[in-house]
Amino acid sequence: MFDRLPLPSQFDRTIVAGGTVVALVALPVVLVLLALLFADQISAAEMVFFLAATVILAGALGSVLLPNVVHAALSLVATLLGVAGIYLLLLTEFIALVQVLVYGGGVVILLLFALMLTNVADDPVVSDGSQKPFAMIVAAIMGSLFIAVMLDAQWGNPAATLVPFSEFGARIFRDFSIPVIVVAILLDIALTGAFVNARTAEEASEPRTEEAAA
Amino acid sequence: MIPIENFLILSALLFAIGFYGVMARRSAILILMSVELMLAAVAINFIAFATYLDADAFSGLVFALFVITVAAAEVGLALGIVLRLYRERRTANVDEADSLKW
Amino acid sequence: MTDVLGNTLNLQYELLLPEIILAITAVVVLTLDAFKKELRVGYNSLPFVSVLGLVGAAVATLLLLDNRGNFALLIELDDFTTFFRLLFIGTAAVLIIGSYEYIERHVSHVGEFFALILLSTVGAIYMAAARDLLTAYLAVEVLSFSLYVAVSLAKNDPRSGEAALKYVLLGGVASAMLLYGLSLLYGVAGSTQYAEISEALAAGTGDVTLPLLLGLVLIVGGLGFKAAAVPFHNYAPDAYEGAPLPVTMYLSATSKAATFALILRWFAGPLLPAVDDWAWMLAAIAVATMVIGNLVALQQHNIKRLLAYSSISQVGYMLMAVTALAPDTGVATSGAVLVHMVGYLVTNLVVFVGVIHFYNKTGKEEISDFRGLAQTNPYLALTLTAGLFSLAGMPLLAGFFTKFILFQAVASADYLWLVIVGVVASTVSLYYYLQVIKQMYLYEPLVPGRWRLSATGYLTTGVLFFFMVAIGIWGAPLYEVADAAAGAIFFV
Repeated sequence: MFDRLPLPSQFDRTIVAGGTVVALVALPVVLVLLALLFADQISAAEMVFFLAATVILAGALGSVLLPNVVHAALSLVATLLGVAGIYLLLLTEFIALVQVLVYGGGVVILLLFALMLTNVADDPVVSDGSQKPFAMIVAAIMGSLFIAVMLDAQWGNPAATLVPFSEFGARIFRDFSIPVIVVAILLDIALTGAFVNARTAEEASEPRTEEAAA
Repeated sequence: MIPIENFLILSALLFAIGFYGVMARRSAILILMSVELMLAAVAINFIAFATYLDADAFSGLVFALFVITVAAAEVGLALGIVLRLYRERRTANVDEADSLKW
Repeated sequence: MTDVLGNTLNLQYELLLPEIILAITAVVVLTLDAFKKELRVGYNSLPFVSVLGLVGAAVATLLLLDNRGNFALLIELDDFTTFFRLLFIGTAAVLIIGSYEYIERHVSHVGEFFALILLSTVGAIYMAAARDLLTAYLAVEVLSFSLYVAVSLAKNDPRSGEAALKYVLLGGVASAMLLYGLSLLYGVAGSTQYAEISEALAAGTGDVTLPLLLGLVLIVGGLGFKAAAVPFHNYAPDAYEGAPLPVTMYLSATSKAATFALILRWFAGPLLPAVDDWAWMLAAIAVATMVIGNLVALQQHNIKRLLAYSSISQVGYMLMAVTALAPDTGVATSGAVLVHMVGYLVTNLVVFVGVIHFYNKTGKEEISDFRGLAQTNPYLALTLTAGLFSLAGMPLLAGFFTKFILFQAVASADYLWLVIVGVVASTVSLYYYLQVIKQMYLYEPLVPGRWRLSATGYLTTGVLFFFMVAIGIWGAPLYEVADAAAGAIFFV
């Protein structure tokens, strides 16, 4: 089936690999969660939370462990979509929308472009640094320390507050006018930065052609 | 209601995984992806605290919104620099860019 | 106008006039650069317009001198803000006037460069002026982003892109750490307003002691990176070396000063009730920074790297004073930090403007290239010598007076052991500054023949030299101004 599609060869393998991973990781989790839900052990919200958490953590592990950069980037997409699900659970549908639009629409495409441009091989596989075991130990210590801290604290009484979608825009431009202005400057700088580093291409290529001519 | 600890533990794990990626990866783009994971963890933290603990709930949401904005801008800026370096050196790996002491 | 909680919001945009002028000037400069040919203007119009904008911003600051209050609970307008507005505007002006010849020859995108300097000045000012964590964080990112870009602007220097890449990646990680710390602080205090955080921490944090501690560790780590304190300093020498020289100057001047403005605002304001939790962290970092910064500087042979490590050790001295902040002696201590910051800034600018003009003439930046400078350009050699001596803290120069005030403030806050480390470290620092001076005075020049600075070179070094000596001999006015500014940031 894939032969007929005008796709680079790694795409079908990516899809197959992705399907396999989903089947191996997500399906048992979904089944266990559904069983728990019907046995009234967990609420529906909790089921969604654990599902999203599974997607987020599996995707995050994939994006830091997978040797193939395209697979890593696609795992990142899974993570970021899972994070959007978490935002929905936290009653902030506007941020969830922004998350999907900005990351799904912008950031990941940008990352994929850069990956394609800098890895000319068909199947871009990168090797990791030699400090992998050390990094693993440090990250494990860090993670368990953070979790211990979070569990140790008594976080007051939860009182879910909901900011309506319509109020968001009105308040952000009035109560937080300075951050909006400052972020405009920030985006201007980022644009300038991306632009000057991209434009070096023409200027840098001029002396090279002279050398070639000489 | 889901206890707030669930969200905080999730964000702690995500942050640690991202930190692992920053330390273990060599390709600048993959390091950037790991930084995105860390920033996503931060945004989860902010929104969880905003929804659960802040009576007004607004400043945390705005903070998370701007974290997402800044993260996206940072990716754009950093990828520009990565592409320029790739053009100059034919590599996107940070440890092959070694004319300065790392 | 009031917000949802019933607080009155002050939305007088004229209070932000200096920053508005700076931002508009940046846009004008970019436009001028883009339409250079059509408008028939040369390169010189860019620095001219930029300096004009800076002067306008300074005038606006002085006009707003007596307007105290806040803008929409996001920006605090007090003496501290005014102090840093003038300081950063002045630094940017010195940078542009002192190095515009260098910029024309060695910077790949001049229009963008000037615009970045102007916009990052806005970021630096808001780091000092913020009264809300969100404003402060975004200001930090504005300054950092401009620096990432500015580092990558060296023309025909392969080190530049690499330095920028390392800087942007590590900077991103540091920002993430800082943000995680801020999120915990928000969770503990339930607000992003400085005043409310201060109240929440003062009311006691019994249930959430550990998250607060973790948050403080991460905040100190992130800020330590931005200030290039040991052990978060690894990127700094690379970024300094790969950047164009004026950017190196900017990194060691405005970037450092803005980070310390933010540190003072935070640690003397909202975080002061938790002083017992963070004082030991800052003390440890300060000692490590003073010792390692000075020891590694001994081995350097590139002037940019030498000055990088020298500025790292200066960060150590200032962190030492932040450690000594306490509710009762805090005003004097933070006033001392401001005094030392001004002294360090002036001295550092003298040295860097001198090095930039040396590079304009010779195109070299190794310490051994400075040999015989006393014969080829006695004025520059004298200026550099005075600057380096001032950095080391020799009497009659700014460095001595400001360091004395700083050490005295720390000693009176019962941190005598820190002062001893600081004094030993600055004695060591004299050795590597003397290495440069030795090259200039004791050896014969490789290429004999006198040369002179450009007119702007004489102007900037002369004015800065005057300030350096004036502060060293008669520092009382500076001390009073700094004390008034420091008094504004305490909540108690």
